[in-house]
Amino acid sequence: MTYAYLSVGSFLLVMLIWEGFCRLGFIEPIFLPAPSLILLRALKMADQGTLFVHVLASARRVMVGFLLSSLIAIPFGIFLGSSRFFKAVFDPLISLLRPLPSMSWIPISLLWLGITETQKYSIVFMGSFAPSLLYIIEATRNIDPILIRAAQNLGASRWDVMREVILPGAMPQIIAGLKVMLGIAWTCIISAELVAAEEGLGFLIMNAKEYFQTDTIFLGMLLISLTVIIIDVTFRMIEGKILPWTRN
Amino acid sequence: MKKYFRTVLFCMTIILATVTFLFGFQNEIRAEAKPEKVTVVYGGSSWLGHYPAWVGIEMGTFKKNGLGVLFQRFYASSGRMGSLVAGDLDFASTGSISGIALMASGMKGFYAFGTQDSYATVEGIVAKKEIKNVTDLKGKKLAVTFASSAHVLVLDILEQNGLEPKEDVTLINLKVSEMPAAFKSGEVDACALWTPMFNKLLNMEGAHLLLNDTQFSLFKKYGLGPGPDLLVARKEFADKYPNTTRAFVKGYFEAVELLRQKPDECAKVLVKLTNLSMDEQKAVLKDIQWYGLDKQQELMVDPGSFVEGMQKLANFLVKHKQIDEAPMVNEWVNKDLLK
Repeated sequence: MTYAYLSVGSFLLVMLIWEGFCRLGFIEPIFLPAPSLILLRALKMADQGTLFVHVLASARRVMVGFLLSSLIAIPFGIFLGSSRFFKAVFDPLISLLRPLPSMSWIPISLLWLGITETQKYSIVFMGSFAPSLLYIIEATRNIDPILIRAAQNLGASRWDVMREVILPGAMPQIIAGLKVMLGIAWTCIISAELVAAEEGLGFLIMNAKEYFQTDTIFLGMLLISLTVIIIDVTFRMIEGKILPWTRN
Repeated sequence: MKKYFRTVLFCMTIILATVTFLFGFQNEIRAEAKPEKVTVVYGGSSWLGHYPAWVGIEMGTFKKNGLGVLFQRFYASSGRMGSLVAGDLDFASTGSISGIALMASGMKGFYAFGTQDSYATVEGIVAKKEIKNVTDLKGKKLAVTFASSAHVLVLDILEQNGLEPKEDVTLINLKVSEMPAAFKSGEVDACALWTPMFNKLLNMEGAHLLLNDTQFSLFKKYGLGPGPDLLVARKEFADKYPNTTRAFVKGYFEAVELLRQKPDECAKVLVKLTNLSMDEQKAVLKDIQWYGLDKQQELMVDPGSFVEGMQKLANFLVKHKQIDEAPMVNEWVNKDLLK
């Protein structure tokens, strides 16, 4: 409880210093708007009904792209993590994909998928797939081989080893990895909404940049962070339910 | 003898004093005219509004005025204007939408002192042949770069024809460079864009010109396109280095004169900036009307058609919810820099 107060206190202190710094005129609002200005912008947009439209549009794009990427990366990663042969086969391809920033996929995705919502999902997908896959492969490979051998010695089949040893052992690390990946997926939203977007937090930030509305830019950034925090908390609650042994 | 010597001495003193005075005066004139800073940084791009700065650098009009100009490229006006007020650039040309948006943010750190061109016929809406007039756009997809002059044109044209963006026409936010591919693949039915892509799209099969900037409401009244180019200077720089500013303005408008009088020679150096072919470059130059230094004095006065038109443009941006409040444009205009 004390730590919670400490966190809230430090946050409020930073906001107070920031507000005072701006109000005393040390810096022009175009470079750093006061928190009160950002709040005013948020209230104005909420009143116009546009704030949640942007949040929901981005949340939908991120979640669809991220879920698709996870749905493929989890089984594929576990498979590659438990097979040295296939890992060796796919290693070069993964190594090529891993360093590519989401933005580099924009021209190709436009050619392949056109100016559609699918193109935006694909940017998030490509931006989060390779890192997720690597996380999951590592999580699977980190299972103590002694546990696997012990299970095999006790007569467990390959499926039994997977179900009883590898999955429960790797899942906490996979979930932890996915939480990190979700943050990475949100970083792709700016790239995803650079082309043919009329709504979304990435669009909001980039459009505000054109009109020098720095308060809107900060608001967009803040909303991305807040959305990630909310999703993270939700993730932890789900984690606690489906993986009760990780609670402590 | 003594008297004679005294007269000679007196005359020599007078001559010496006159010579000293004249030399001093001349030096003073030289010192006044000499730029305090020999290098300035200009923010540009391959857009036609930056041709004078490029021509000035390549054909030596700045050098003639004792100035070296560094041409810094920016993709968008917003980035260029941001750098100007951050102190990284000394002069720039910008689309007026970006200029007005920066004024609306309350930033007083720059002057607007000129408008160098008019290009009403190289920006407009290119559509599929079956779209014969604006009302035919109903239910269609129109590609436009948001927060650009073409966006303002589209909002105005739709309003003039009683159409609502989103409800009647789907606006697709696309970069100009991505429009030809989207048009060719049939993903959009029309595109609002500017040269050189404007010319390229017009030459594509199945495309035709629906309208250009001359249909913009403010053009009809003030001869002002939806995003006229604006010459801007960093306030701190212009105030601190008046001779340098004068030298820049002089060199710049000498380049404008070259563009008016020797377009073919200018085209040869401009292709290095634009990567267009010589024929394309010459075609673009034909469509631009250049405003010289004499015209600036007429345009930048308040009240005057350009400043008034800019104010109307600011009000238009507020009306269409692009900015919150319209700035008083004349507070940023400083035609003294043109003297």
